[in-house]
Amino acid sequence: MPEPTRPSPPSPEPSPNRRPARTAWVPSKWVDVVLYVTAGVTYIGFSIYNKWLLDWIVGPAWLIAWVWGVPALYNLVRRRPVRPRRSPFEAR
Amino acid sequence: MSWAAHQFEVYAVEAHLPKKMVGQVSWFAIFFGDFTPDFLAKFWVYGFNFHGRHYGATKPYQWHRGWPGMGISHTLFFGIMCCLGIWAWKHNRAWTIGFLLGFSAHVLTDVNDSIGTMLLFPFSTLNWSLHTWAYAATVKGGKYLDAAAYYSSLGFAMDFFWFIVVLGSWRVLTRDFWRTKVVPADPHVWSWLGQWLDERGLLALYRSVFFYGVCRMIAWTTWAHVVARPVINGVRHEGYPWDLSWTGPWWVQHVTLPHTSPLIVLPVALFLLGCVYFVAITIWDRMESGSIKAIAWRNVRRNTR
Repeated sequence: MPEPTRPSPPSPEPSPNRRPARTAWVPSKWVDVVLYVTAGVTYIGFSIYNKWLLDWIVGPAWLIAWVWGVPALYNLVRRRPVRPRRSPFEAR
Repeated sequence: MSWAAHQFEVYAVEAHLPKKMVGQVSWFAIFFGDFTPDFLAKFWVYGFNFHGRHYGATKPYQWHRGWPGMGISHTLFFGIMCCLGIWAWKHNRAWTIGFLLGFSAHVLTDVNDSIGTMLLFPFSTLNWSLHTWAYAATVKGGKYLDAAAYYSSLGFAMDFFWFIVVLGSWRVLTRDFWRTKVVPADPHVWSWLGQWLDERGLLALYRSVFFYGVCRMIAWTTWAHVVARPVINGVRHEGYPWDLSWTGPWWVQHVTLPHTSPLIVLPVALFLLGCVYFVAITIWDRMESGSIKAIAWRNVRRNTR
């Protein structure tokens, strides 16, 4: 009866068939500023003529959709992770 | 009523917390405290139309700020009751005191319009009002006339004043402030939200109330003075006329409830504001032992399950 063999440890070198994990795109500070400004301009522009948008739910949601949602959408299209892999407040 | 001022107040309160409370009072509690009075009362003020029929208060000002009505939602008494409820439920001083400060800011700011609030309820049902601008929520005019009147009067100045106050404490809007002063005061809520949003998303959430305040101030003012073409007393206007006089604007019907003399309103409101901060500072340390005991008991319950 052959002896059971121990599983071999994983190779430190990535196998040629396995892709390295893709990291999410993080906008730079200036891209962030542009996102905030465009969020404000678009929200004001739309809401002047569609006053129902001037609502305490729509307003904050608009900013989050713009500042967080646009980069998240970009990451989604590029098949990069959208949701945080760990909470931003976990010890690093 | 005040509009964007209530959004700016949240940050003004956060930026001007007493020294020993900095980084320990929940920002969400300040927000919900400031938000609760109008959340409870305002929906029925404007009402809604369904199948050609209007559902809502017949006298919006009476419903919003009067007694009988939902005027109780704009009283310090009601705020204190809510705080006692929060404390009895969670024994969390960060939320109890935060709610108290936010709620008080809302109630005291609203003494500026021509209806005011019942500051001394339940001892008196008289409204306390400075008559700085006209209360303009009506059944016929609805939200739009209310907005137009507010942003044509000293109400606009009020919003702008609070905007400047927040800009004067601009650090309250920075990532660093949020990370070091806001998140540690409410770690569980921010951590829970962190399941879905990354740091940029959470920071946007924190700033979103300020963003909404700025945008609604600009959007309503632009609409009222550039886009709207109102007919006032049979005359068509290019935008609603500005009127920055006391109790303006002249073109809305003035409504009032039984009230005290405006001369004593400002000193009493400031005195009450001082009392709120004094009480908050005084009970803050005493609440610590209650908070620690509550956390300890929660941990014991979790471990024995």
